[in-house]
This record gives sequence, structure tokens and C-alpha cells, in this order.
Amino acid sequence: MEPIIEARHLSHTYVDGQNQEMTALKDINLSIMPGEFIAIIGTNGSGKSTLARHFNALLTPTEGKCLVGGLDTSVEANLWPVRQTVGMVFQNPDNQIVAAIVEEDVAFGLENIGVPGPEIRPRVEAALETVGMTAYAKHAPHRLSGGQKQRIAIAGVLALEPKCIVFDEPTAMLDPKGRKDIVETVLKLNKEKQITIIYITHKMEEAILADRIIAMNQGHIEMEGTPKEVFTQVDRIRKLGLECPLAAEVANALQKGGHKLPPILTHEELCQALCPSK
Amino acid sequence: MSIEVDHISYTYMAHTSLENKALEDVSFRVDKGEFVALIGHTGSGKSTLAEHLNGLLHPDEGCVRVDGVDLKGKDRAAKEARGKVGMVFQYPEHQLFAETIYEDIAFGPRNQGKSPEEVDAAVRSAMAFVDLDYDVFASRSPFQLSGGQMRRVAIAGVVAMEPDYLIMDEPSAGLDPVSRDNIFSQLMKIFHKRQMGVILITHSMEEAAQYADRLLVMSGGKLHLDGPARDIFTHDRETLEKLSMDVPESVKLADELRQQGLSLKGTPLTEAELIRAIERAKGWKAC
Repeated sequence: MEPIIEARHLSHTYVDGQNQEMTALKDINLSIMPGEFIAIIGTNGSGKSTLARHFNALLTPTEGKCLVGGLDTSVEANLWPVRQTVGMVFQNPDNQIVAAIVEEDVAFGLENIGVPGPEIRPRVEAALETVGMTAYAKHAPHRLSGGQKQRIAIAGVLALEPKCIVFDEPTAMLDPKGRKDIVETVLKLNKEKQITIIYITHKMEEAILADRIIAMNQGHIEMEGTPKEVFTQVDRIRKLGLECPLAAEVANALQKGGHKLPPILTHEELCQALCPSK
Repeated sequence: MSIEVDHISYTYMAHTSLENKALEDVSFRVDKGEFVALIGHTGSGKSTLAEHLNGLLHPDEGCVRVDGVDLKGKDRAAKEARGKVGMVFQYPEHQLFAETIYEDIAFGPRNQGKSPEEVDAAVRSAMAFVDLDYDVFASRSPFQLSGGQMRRVAIAGVVAMEPDYLIMDEPSAGLDPVSRDNIFSQLMKIFHKRQMGVILITHSMEEAAQYADRLLVMSGGKLHLDGPARDIFTHDRETLEKLSMDVPESVKLADELRQQGLSLKGTPLTEAELIRAIERAKGWKAC
């Protein structure tokens, strides 16, 4: 199988206001396979969002290459096929909604890329159904909750039928219920629709749902592996300015108190380790 | 010394087709020296309520008093009362504007009519509070800082006005764990030193549980719950869930451990409390 996204020696340097060169990304090598669910973690300024913006050619590498579906993102002719392969969902749902009625908002992207009229309706309906917002098709988006608005934003991307969606902290502004709904929606897109997911987050409880975690630090990939491989290295994660999921942190503290425990990531694993009778 | 919210209601775009009742008969009191978390789903009225607490909005009915003075007044006393309440909005770094960090932080105290010496002292102490080295940062541009540092500068700008009450609307949204912890440890320092009244608006149950003594829970423009955080996270879980809220992760994990047969006591509101509770339940450490 060919990777859907590939970064080869990708670097990104920009010039700041005082003519100083800043390196945001340094020699990134990465292959993402179709259907994978990748979480990217890292402190503010570690390069997570800059990297993600290369995946649909919002940014192009200043050195090296970024390939999407085998197409070089820095070749201008590839811009539209690249953007149709990889969709983006951002942090603030209010900044992503353009129309006064939900179904028109979801249709906006389709109209923009010139999808014929009769095809638009079924695609909008399918997208709204996938995110569980069919009942709100005729509603005004500004009356919806944050989580509902974010699901509308996802539907708008989904209607374009991308093979991959990049989520840049999609739950940062949402309440607990909205957060839960978005996480469920993302999992559904990945498991049922086989859409490749790249999920940037500061919430480690969300990151552990991914197949693979990439931890960024100062513009390079510092750690990479399954959630278990990454989050059982509690001290290393802390050094990066991050934290581990609660169960892993608790297990680590108990271990430091002198009690032997197996590697632990989830609530269930902690329960099993502490309550062996069941 | 307190902010008193007395039966306030507020409707956006009243008497139009877009009429939207944002607050309905809300009453509570926050004393100086109290740390309160205000939680509620998106659109529950939290931010509208916050804007009433320093007179950015005035209620249609009821009134808001700061140290006994109604904020609605046009006299000097009302103006002074409004000035006692500092407000840190969502994404406050978007409001940075000056060429240097010093100038940005000095803007508020200068507007309050402080003398240059007083302004200087206020800027220095505010920068110290948010842990930004004066000699390193004062003359730098705020726009070259990291996200966490920019937010600290923005908060310093509010702290420099030396408010008696501080309202913060999701001060940690979008910050990484270390920046988040930094902001809160600075905030707790200011809180303890100045004995301000703090109202923290947050979507994070963990933050609410860790820092606040008391919770206010809003939904649909009404105040549904008001009480000690531990009581609410212990006894009002069904209500919280119905209002699209939740309990902290540590409370959930404690529940699961109990269901699996560990005789764990209490409602651990933080990671540290959970660790202690587990050690106690396992007999690993003397109480």
C-alpha cells in the first residue's frame, strides 16, 4: 500500500518581523498509511500545526518534500487534488461556518468545487447523517451548541469526500458533552468510513484513541509509537512539557512509591492491576 | 466585600424576532478571598453573566453590586466599583497591541490615572507575578512570544490594574499542559497574596475541581447548582450529566476502581488525591 501522506526531509523556515530566520520544522520524515488514526502532541510552538498545514498545502516545505496521495504539494497544479484528498477542521467552530442555514453551510464547499446541483443534496444529507445532525439541517448554525457547530464544520469537510481529515484541536473550545460527541464522530469516521485521521490535541485522554502517536518538540519528531509505547515513558513525556493520561500518571506515581505495576495506559488496565481478584 | 448578583435577567435583541433570553433570574454572591468556578455548556450564559460582573452589560432586571455599589450607576462610585473587577477574556493574547511588553502592560494602569512611578511599579509587580523576567522581557515585542507567554502578558495587563475581583474566561484554552499549569500556579499565587475574589469560567472539570472551592453551574441562562465543588461532584452527578457537564477524570477512575472491588473512599478531585486514596485502600501507606 502507498502512504497517503509522506514527508521527506521536510523543513520549514520562515523569516520573522525582524529579518531573523526561524526554523519551525526541521528534517521531518513521516509516512502515514490510508486508514491510520494518528495523534500529534507537543507543546505550543513545537510545530504541530505547522506540520499539519503542510498536509493540505496551506504551507509548502522550504526544504524537502511533502507528498499527498503521491502528489508533490509544492507543484501548483497539484493544489486542488491535494486539498480534495485532505480536509481540515480547526479549533474554533465559529470561524468555520459561513452560511445562515446548516445544510447550506455544508453545501458551501461542494458548490465551490463545482459539484453538479443534483449531486449536492445527497452528499449533504449523507454528511449530516454521519455526524448525527440530520435533524438540524434547516436550523441556523449560530443557535447551535459549540459541539453541534463543530459537527457541522466536520460535515462540511466530509461532504467533499476527502480520504484524510486533519483536526487541529477540535475540542479545545467545547464543553464535556460536545467533546465526547466530537471524539465519537472522529472515531466513527475512522472505523466506519476508513478515513485517515490526523488529530492534533493537548488532551492526552483523546490522544490514546489513536493507532500511533507523534510527539513533536522544537520542530522535530521527538517520539513516535503506539499510545502504550509513548505514554508509559512518563518522565520523558513530562520533559517535553506534556502529560500522560491520568491512569498512566497514577500508575507511575504508585510505582515510584515502590509498588510494582505493569505498563498502564487506560482506566481498565489500572483496575486490572490494582484489583486482581476480578 | 463581595460581588452580589441579585435576581438578574438579560435578553439579547429584545422585542425582535431574534430575541434570545440569555440570563433568567440569576442570583449569587462571591466574596473577596473566594475562588469560584463557573461551568456550563456552550451557550449556557456564562460569558453573558461574566460581562455583567464589570458593567460591560447591564441587566434588564435585577442588579449587580460590587462592594455594595450598583454597577449601573453613572456616578463616580459606580465607575470605581466597575474598576475593581478585572476581566481576562477568552484568548486574551488577541488583544495585545503595543510595541513592547512594558507598554502593553502599562496601558491599563496608565488609563487608571496612575503616576509614572506607580505605573512602573505596577508593571514590575505584574510581570513578576506572571513570572516574566523584567530585564529580559520588558522591552521585547509581545508578538514574538510563545502562545503561553503571550497569554501571561495579557493576564499581567489585567493584574497590573490591581483588581479586587478577577474574572477569567477559559484562561487555559488551547495551551499545552505545562503552560496551563504555569498560568494556574501564578494565578493561585496572586489569589493568595491579594485575597481577590476569583471567578474562573472553564470547560475543564479537572481545573474546576483542582482550583475552586465552590462551583456555579449554569444551563439555559439559569443558575442550576451553587455549592462546594466536592459536594457537587459527589452528589449531583446526574444533574451535571443532564446539563452536558461531567465529573473530573479522577472521580471517574475512582468509580471504576470501586466497581472492580477496591474499597476506595471519598471523591478524589485531583490526581494527587486519587493516588493517596489508592495507597490507603491498598494499605500501602499509613493514613
